[in-house]
Amino acid sequence: MRHTPLYNRQSKAKKTAAVSTLNPLALAAALVAIPATQAAAQTDVSLILDAYHKSDQTALGGRSEGFGLSHSELSITQSMGEHLRGKLTAVADINEDDSEFELEEAYLQTLTLPAGLTVKAGRFLADIGYLNSQHSHSDSFTERPLAYRGFLGGHYFDDGLGLSITLPTQLYWQVNAGIFTGDEFADRNSDNSLGIWTLSSKIGGDIGTEHSWQAGFSYVRNRTIDDAHDEHHHNDHDEEHEEDHDEEHDDHSDEHDADHDDHGHDDHDDGGHHGHSHGAEYTGKNIYIADVVWKWAPQGNNRQQQLKLAGEYIRVTDINEYAGSSDYHSGYYLSAVYRFLPEWSVGVRHGELDVKNPHGDHFHAADISETSVMVAWNPTHTQTVRLQYTEQDGNGFEDDDNAITLQYQIGFGSHAAHGF
Amino acid sequence: MPHMVSKPVYWLLGTLGSLLATPVYSLTIFACEPEWALLAKELAPQAKVIQATHAYQDPHYIEARPSLISAFRRADLAICTGAEMEIGWLPALQQRAGNARLRDGQPAMIYAADAVETIDKQETHFLQTGHIHAQGNPHFQLDPTRFVPVAALISQRLIALDPDNAANHLRQHRAWHSQWLDHIARWENSSQVLKGKRVVVQHSIFDYLIRFTAMEKVADLEPEPGVPPTISHLQKVQQQVSAAPPDGILRAWYQDEKSSQWLAKRIDRPVLDLPASPDPNQAQMSSLAGWFDLIFSRLHALN
Repeated sequence: MRHTPLYNRQSKAKKTAAVSTLNPLALAAALVAIPATQAAAQTDVSLILDAYHKSDQTALGGRSEGFGLSHSELSITQSMGEHLRGKLTAVADINEDDSEFELEEAYLQTLTLPAGLTVKAGRFLADIGYLNSQHSHSDSFTERPLAYRGFLGGHYFDDGLGLSITLPTQLYWQVNAGIFTGDEFADRNSDNSLGIWTLSSKIGGDIGTEHSWQAGFSYVRNRTIDDAHDEHHHNDHDEEHEEDHDEEHDDHSDEHDADHDDHGHDDHDDGGHHGHSHGAEYTGKNIYIADVVWKWAPQGNNRQQQLKLAGEYIRVTDINEYAGSSDYHSGYYLSAVYRFLPEWSVGVRHGELDVKNPHGDHFHAADISETSVMVAWNPTHTQTVRLQYTEQDGNGFEDDDNAITLQYQIGFGSHAAHGF
Repeated sequence: MPHMVSKPVYWLLGTLGSLLATPVYSLTIFACEPEWALLAKELAPQAKVIQATHAYQDPHYIEARPSLISAFRRADLAICTGAEMEIGWLPALQQRAGNARLRDGQPAMIYAADAVETIDKQETHFLQTGHIHAQGNPHFQLDPTRFVPVAALISQRLIALDPDNAANHLRQHRAWHSQWLDHIARWENSSQVLKGKRVVVQHSIFDYLIRFTAMEKVADLEPEPGVPPTISHLQKVQQQVSAAPPDGILRAWYQDEKSSQWLAKRIDRPVLDLPASPDPNQAQMSSLAGWFDLIFSRLHALN
């Protein structure tokens, strides 16, 4: 191949390279200038289909009841010259009531900046929390945790600019910053064109050969809420994340009863997004996320077995102008997934959400907990069959329910490498 | 003038100086698999080599975990197998680490597969769901002859990236090369007796070794490449080999032993546990030659 000229083959025996001798001059000559062999321009296309059936509608549900295709994605990655890489991901959510297509990613990413820097521009998943920047097809449960569904709309992506730096430290240390329009975050009532900015940092490492961990902290500044106009800008009625407007109660009186806590996607809103939520249901000006992940594999060989523990805590403060220091939303989840055979895994996840529903100048507390257990089978590395049971228990939530979900996921084309 | 400067300042200057000065062979090399870590040490003894994976891990299935990202971030040079061996994790390291030197196509990002001819290249198509390698079988580290062009490629790149030490790198390579040819001749000789030995394998890990020794692969415990053995497939294999039992079953350290043991018990043939990659922590495998010596001596149990 490319390097054979370095050898004078003296065909003594059939075992090729063994009998060639090195010609130092040829080697030296060849070494004078090694061009940066240009990586071939490459287009990777991948398609992931996620078909499911869910027995019942659940509060803040990521999937709606019945049969559907959830978050099925077509993704194209393209190297664009030496310095840039582009990615485009289109996502389809199709269920019995509604179908919806959206562009989840459309960004350019730099490849050649110095000092561990990477810049992303366009539409992309914000680098906050543990799960947010991961594609949901790699999730271990059929829906994102309650806290993600309530505070980040399942996953937060938006149009903006992101900067990421990986520091040259022994311990893994990455710092990310992003500015976004905020158009995709939640219903907005301010005209700030840079509605969201984010700052996050992750550290991580190994303990021995069997354990690895990562911990992160993220801050999100939400400038899409403007105190002055807090009450009067709801252009998009499909997610009533800030209720308590008398005029809206007129519109939706069938849903907004007694406790004003109708935050779920219960399928009757005009043009509602069923199941797959876009915006955060519960917002505030400041969002804090702490996340920690720990993985264990016997001898570090995660092909055979792996235990993964993950937990995140999210707090959303400054809900509105009346919010005092104790008026904040918070939520968390803890999950454990054990792959006990290469093709089988089981998992359990528990999470809670404590929210404050604004009611004039005061707040009504509501809370909900959710516990899921799942078993997944991977007959091949591109297919997953998952059965999940979810139990919800809410106070001040109307549509809390229990559900059984059967999910089948299959991938075609190239399969992007997964992060930690 | 010396007494003009206080000790702390000297100390500070000294520290700064040692931080700024580039010592000879100051390269940090990230090696995806242990065999390339050993080869890098043998070709550049004074480089700092980070071995990303070990012999008990299946190199197809590595987590792109934080420790590897930070190691990749700090490396000047990376040596990986290529041919899609690390497709599930290396691209994630490249993206996360933001190390512009180690992009694909850069001289410091070395794929051993670029220097060798792989076997069993297969056509792939968009709709397939199996684990098929378009660029051929990536487990060529078990063929001693294929180390020759890989070593040449690595030394080329070392010289290009560290031209001040070109003469040293060249000398190092020549010494390694001539020794390696001697080793190959020795292994060819000693594996004469293995010719025609019939073995059952799990996955295509040992295909190159089987070719080198002219053994014969009679069955694979995997129903399809990358798919773990199933009972029904194992029973099929048992039936298939029962008329003419193989000489043994080859298992890599990182593979689950249940399937090979299941068959071994039923056909009363030995399982040979082989390190598909060296474990340099074991004295015997602290060099590439030592590792191959161990493999060939274990294979002689087939006699």
